[in-house]
Amino acid sequence: MNGTFPKWLKIVLIFFVFGLVRSPFESSLRKQMQETRMLLPTPGHSAMAQMGQSALMGLLGGVRTLVATGYLFDSYRHFDNDDWDANRKSLLLATYLEPTVESHWVDLVWHRGINAPAWLETRSTLPEIEKRILYHEYTRDAIELGEAGLKNLPDSVEIRKQMSEVYKEKIKDPCGTARMYKEILELKNAPMYASRFYGYYLADCPGRERDAYEHLVNLYWEGKQNHLPTLLKKILTLQEELDIPMPLWIPEKDPDARKAVNRRFEKRNRILPGGIRLPW
Amino acid sequence: MTTFTETKVKIPVLSLSRVWTIAAGTMTQLVRMKTFYFLLIFAVLVAGVGYLDFRLATAASQLETIKKISFGTMDLFAWLYAIVATALLIPRDLEDRTLYTILSKPVRRVEYLVGKLLGVLILIGLSLGLMFCLCMVMLAIKHGDLVSSELIKLSSDPNITQVEIEEQIALINEQGPRKELGVAALASFLKSSVVAAMTILISTFASSSLFTIITSIFFFLIGHAHGMMTDYWLHKTEGNLVIRLATKVMKLLIPDFQLYSFSEGVVTGATIVPAVVWSMGFLTAGYLFIFLLISLMIFMYKEF
Amino acid sequence: MSKPAVEVKNLTKVFNTGNPGANVFKKGITGSYVVAVDNLSFKVEAGEVYGLIGPNGSGKSTTMKVVLGLMAPTDGSAKVFGLDAGDVRARNDIGYLPENPYFYRHLSGEETLKFYGKLCGLKGKVLKDRIDELLDMVDLEGARTRRLAGYSKGMLQRIGLAQAIIQRPGLVILDEPTAGVDPVGSRQIRDLILQLKEEGISVFLCSHLLEQVQEVCDNVGIIFKGRMRREGPLEELVSIENRYSFVLENASPKLIKEIETLVEKEKGVTITEKGNPRTTLERLFLKIAGSKDQDEV
Repeated sequence: MNGTFPKWLKIVLIFFVFGLVRSPFESSLRKQMQETRMLLPTPGHSAMAQMGQSALMGLLGGVRTLVATGYLFDSYRHFDNDDWDANRKSLLLATYLEPTVESHWVDLVWHRGINAPAWLETRSTLPEIEKRILYHEYTRDAIELGEAGLKNLPDSVEIRKQMSEVYKEKIKDPCGTARMYKEILELKNAPMYASRFYGYYLADCPGRERDAYEHLVNLYWEGKQNHLPTLLKKILTLQEELDIPMPLWIPEKDPDARKAVNRRFEKRNRILPGGIRLPW
Repeated sequence: MTTFTETKVKIPVLSLSRVWTIAAGTMTQLVRMKTFYFLLIFAVLVAGVGYLDFRLATAASQLETIKKISFGTMDLFAWLYAIVATALLIPRDLEDRTLYTILSKPVRRVEYLVGKLLGVLILIGLSLGLMFCLCMVMLAIKHGDLVSSELIKLSSDPNITQVEIEEQIALINEQGPRKELGVAALASFLKSSVVAAMTILISTFASSSLFTIITSIFFFLIGHAHGMMTDYWLHKTEGNLVIRLATKVMKLLIPDFQLYSFSEGVVTGATIVPAVVWSMGFLTAGYLFIFLLISLMIFMYKEF
Repeated sequence: MSKPAVEVKNLTKVFNTGNPGANVFKKGITGSYVVAVDNLSFKVEAGEVYGLIGPNGSGKSTTMKVVLGLMAPTDGSAKVFGLDAGDVRARNDIGYLPENPYFYRHLSGEETLKFYGKLCGLKGKVLKDRIDELLDMVDLEGARTRRLAGYSKGMLQRIGLAQAIIQRPGLVILDEPTAGVDPVGSRQIRDLILQLKEEGISVFLCSHLLEQVQEVCDNVGIIFKGRMRREGPLEELVSIENRYSFVLENASPKLIKEIETLVEKEKGVTITEKGNPRTTLERLFLKIAGSKDQDEV
């Protein structure tokens, strides 16, 4: 090691050569991991600018999830205090740190779109005009936040479900609600109930009643598993509203009557331990 | 009578038995220094996570949060342990002159270094294994509770079919204790291994344990900024040659620790690509080799 | 036995100022050097006890570290049984006890010996028997399972000596072996050194406690400011050629008077010292401590 080439230079050279070899390898690994969501993406420039010191330290210290969870619990505290702007900020920071974690976006839409407007409704001291402005602002913000979440998680059922809740409960827009469920239906991980819910809300969307009827009736004929009380009632209502000819009506009339029949049937077939069948 | 005139036997370049002796000694040393007490703190923390205020969360997101806290803490403890435990080894041996007595035996310096690193890695592996088991047990308990209460709730709703109940339970199960979470523990192990090897390297020229710890943490933090450095300083700082050059040098010299944060993705339910995990293992082996090589270059000719 | 245990030839060791060996990169940049050992040469023959004496900072420990391969010579060479000191094979034949050794405090005496024994390639029954033998030899059988954290300085020194000779080396290097040890412990270590010598093991020790060196060494080198000032067999170095002494037991005052008269008659001969010879404080202490031990038994 006492040659003309100093040792420190050799060490730096080894580092550099190794660095040059690993750099492209690491870049491709990073890309692959981000595509498969194994690695959380680096927050955007504006997100970085809004991050506090702790969030940045979390990012640098490799403890993003812990810091994000901290913000989540922080949002709970703000929820308790009805501090909706602080609640939004905490959750937004959590999404900056973990943009691919669905529950942060869902919470954000839920608090902003459901809880904050609900709180407004109970504020009797606020002038009506201010209430209306804030209400509109909160719900619009909730939908925008939901859409931002969908950019990060395009396959998310839960975010769409939460947005549909906002449309249904606070914006009172059954067409918007149905649109959300339509989007859910197009996802490959769509839950079974999405199809029914799409029909239910479409039935309330002015001008789309017939589409809703056809959709629900199709579901009805798919099998007994879909013969649920709400579905039956919706179909019965639509049959009357749309003047569907009687021969095309579904055979079931009243879901409550069916329940009564079931109860009688169950009673008739009551079996005691040991296989003893009761005659009454 | 001694046999010193006949003992000019060949000594292997790397004796596995000597490496193992040093590794086993290192493990005993760290265990008896009560460095394992941190596991108790971890156990208390993980047990406490189950009692957090989750009234606003769904069953699945409760489990997800519990997982994130437990595995995040596990990862944090693992790399911190890797730095602190490793930093206590060589500087302390030097301060206590134990190193003199070891190196005055027929022990090659490479054996000493590899033995020390191996000892630390085994201990990190064991601690991670224990922490992982604790997390899984806690998660299983919580998962069981949540599934039963969710089943009761869903079954009482006449508008929910059996298939839909199963769908909901499947969503909760996805966040429950699954064997895929082992990959998250493996990611933490790989990260801690690189951290330990980097700390060994620093300790070969450091003057004290404290210096080693501080420097290692500093490099560890910079190692998490690779993505940011690339995005902001390398691609977006147009024209500023000095910043771009400094960024490139940093990226070449310091490991990209952010890549090892794939445990976060695994915990939040990302699909695991086995080829990526293998590649990370391969990359880790490369880091270990290079760090050991450079450590040896410094340590080999170090005078005590 | 033909090759000397240690052969140091024209050894020079230069440090850059500050902290030797702490920073490899600084070498040559600061440009300020200290010569710790300057052209030093000596030999430790196989089977002899050699003492290198000198004040603190005279270069003793540096010389020792070069012989142990812990440092590389700037110039010259150091060989152990004919092998270069830097060669790992040379350390098969070396046992080393540093000054104030701190072994792993968490290990027991037995575990410490096992650890060092394994490093030397010993295992199984051979190692176990050797540990038993050594613990008996250094009188630590009763403390074999006690952790070193609870050992006294003398006990640490003795376990250190045991680890040094675990692999039956041909050469034992001791750096200030009795520094900070009480007289009883010091005597035990001295006896152990003599025992090693009896077994044919070469001993190379550094000390600034001259009396101790005088008691055990065959050959002595006096080092000062990195240079060898005097070297040779102990008897030659310490005897005063133009003086002679004898001690009488039970001599009557009359006989003493007659001897004095006889001496006075000789021209050029004078009596420089007379009276009752005194014991050393160490001997007195050891006598008392020894009898106290017996009382307790």
